[in-house]
This record gives sequence, C-alpha cells and structure tokens, in this order.
Amino acid sequence: MKYLPISLTFLLFACASFPKKYNLGRIDSDVAIAVNPYFSDISMDYIYKAKINFGEKSFGGIFVVKKFGPEHHRVVFTTELGNKLFDFSFIKNEFRINFILSEMNKKILISLLKKDFFVLTHENANILNHYQKIGDSTYFETKIGNNTYFYLTTDERLHKILETKGSKVKSDYIFTELENDHAREIKIQHKNIGLTIDLKAI
Amino acid sequence: MRKLLFLIVLIAHTSLLFAQESTMSDPEITSFKAMVNKTSKTMITIQSNFTQYKHMDFLSNDITTKGKMAFKAPDMVKWEYTDPFKYSIIFKEDQLLINDSGTKSNMDLGNNMLFKKLNQLIVNSIKGNLFQDSDFTMSYFKDPKYFKVIFIPKDEKIKAYIASFILFFNKEQADVMEVKMVEPTNDYTRIVFTDRQINKPLDNEVFTN
Repeated sequence: MKYLPISLTFLLFACASFPKKYNLGRIDSDVAIAVNPYFSDISMDYIYKAKINFGEKSFGGIFVVKKFGPEHHRVVFTTELGNKLFDFSFIKNEFRINFILSEMNKKILISLLKKDFFVLTHENANILNHYQKIGDSTYFETKIGNNTYFYLTTDERLHKILETKGSKVKSDYIFTELENDHAREIKIQHKNIGLTIDLKAI
Repeated sequence: MRKLLFLIVLIAHTSLLFAQESTMSDPEITSFKAMVNKTSKTMITIQSNFTQYKHMDFLSNDITTKGKMAFKAPDMVKWEYTDPFKYSIIFKEDQLLINDSGTKSNMDLGNNMLFKKLNQLIVNSIKGNLFQDSDFTMSYFKDPKYFKVIFIPKDEKIKAYIASFILFFNKEQADVMEVKMVEPTNDYTRIVFTDRQINKPLDNEVFTN
C-alpha cells in the first residue's frame, strides 16, 4: 500500500505532457499554420544520398522527392545502382504505392515509411498550441493524423519536428544546412526502434 | 508546290531516321557473335570510367553519377562511384561487398539480384558466353556506330522489375560501350563507359573492401 503513492506519482510523471516535461511555457500568437518549406518548390528535383541504419545493419540509396502541386508529392527510393526500391505518391490524404520491391512489401514497414515521408513533405500544419522555452526555439504543437508533432522554429525557420507520445519523443526530423528553402541535410531518428535515416543533398 | 517539297523533305528525313538502326540478318548475327567471342577471349582486365544516368520521367533532369569500373577475369567486378558521393560495390565469387563512404557491409537489399544479373550479362559478354544465356530472349540491331542487343527476361519475377537490358557494343572490337536497364514503366538506368583500358595490370587488392 505504501508504494501506491510512489507508483501514482511515477505514473503521473510518465503521463505528463511533453510541454510540462520540458518546461515549455504557453505563449499567445496569431500564427495559425506551421510551415515546412523544404519540399515546396515545384521546379526542384530533390535528390539526396541516403544512409539508413537499423540496429547493426546499414544500407544506402538515393532518395528522390518531387512536388507536382498543392499537397501532391512523389517519393522514390532507389539503390545507388539505380534499382527502384519503392515509389510512393501522396495526393492530399490519398497514399498510392506506384511500386514496391516485393521484399519490402510489408505492412509495418510501409506504414512507417508512409508516416515519415508524409511528415517530411507535409507543408502546412494547423497549430493547436504555441510554446516557448526561454533562449530556445518556438514550439508549435500540431496534429498529423492521430499523432502529435511539435514544429521547432528559430528565427521563424523550421529546424526540427518532434513526434511525441505523452511526454516522450518518439521520432525526430532534423533539418540542417539550410539554403533558402532547401534543407541540404535531413536526419530522421526513430528512438523506439533504433532506425536512423540520414539524407544528404547531391 | 511548297507543301509537296515539305512532304518530300519530311519523308526523306523519316526514312533517314529509320535507316539509322536496323535488325541484323542471321549471317550478321553469327559474325557479330564470333567477333564478341574473339574479343572476350583476349580480355583479362578492363578498367574504365563510367557515367550513370538514372532517368525517371517525372524528374526535370536525370540523376547523374560518375565513377570507375574494374573487371578482372573470370568474374570480379567493382563499381566505384566517386561523384557526387563515394560508394563502391564489389561482385566477387557470389559475394557482394559494399563500402558506403567508409561504412562497410556485405548486405544485399534483394533487388541487387537484378544488378547481379546485369553484372553477369557484362561478365558473360566479356567471357563470350553471353549468348548462351537461356534466361533471355535476344534481338540484334545494327547502326553505323554500334551493335545493339536487347535482352528481354523470360522470368516473370525479373520482368516485374526490368522490362529489358540493352547492351551497346562498339563496332571495332565488339566490346560493351553502354548498358541500359529499362523498367516496366520506361524509366531506365543508363551506364556509359569511357576511357577503357584493356589488359592493364590490375591487382586483386582492388577487389577487397
């Protein structure tokens, strides 16, 4: 019985919200949309050399994104040698598989890739709450599907997206080497499964 | 009159275009195969630069990568990409060795089976037993500048990924100067070889990771 209060406190702490855990203060703001501009140019071919680490395993490829119109992107991954591994289209809320290598045609993997690349190419997210930490970035809380994301901006420039569950960060998307609206380096990290995707523009 | 002239010019141009590439006759195929066999027997090593063009219809530009290819008989091949990134892949006795900017592995992602097949095609074209490959239906073409052979896979599984492999041979020595892998969607990967050096000494060390 004496452990009950401790357990409850622990449970309460574990269930605490992400802003509370990281001491984020709520702020007032008129900004209603969090913008991710990094795949927004219709005239650009976005080509990245990708390095994927999953546990002890590592493999590479070429990651390609092309925007065709509002909320319409094509995402393709090939080996360095040119073989296509998958080819997806995101058209508004529709997700289309144009091609996937049979060895990769696994529900769990597709759902992970679909989520990652939708977040990566999703340009405008409705802001639910605004937060700030003194001396740190502005945090815009958004929801994509049923998941909660925090868009971190500094000087009105997006540099990180965090996917959270309760107080925990599940995944992060880090944008660096920013040249205008082109992120020349992107890192995606899935903390819970030990999967990292490093993208370098070529 | 002007219309007639235009029509004549158009027909002349069209027939010229069609004249560029034609099907080889049976005797031509026989002599071409003999030429490839003769060349392949003398080839022990090949070192060449290559430029790879990945064409996807929806992109504004092909993705261009460059590097060096090394072959040593009987079946060692190394593709070393140097620009715009460093990456190498070695095919050696059924092994696949990868060095991705310093990260070494021998992992295959499955689809490299296709590249193994392409690699086997190139190796076989050098060894001279290319045309004994029963996995493909072959058709032969000629042009003033090259011989071209289209390999269409018979295997349904390979066909789902690759509609055809196309090899271009130069007319002087009948060695491979260009390779094209065409996907069922018509997107393709084209590899063009330049500065080929034949039978220049090549250490086995080159084929280690």
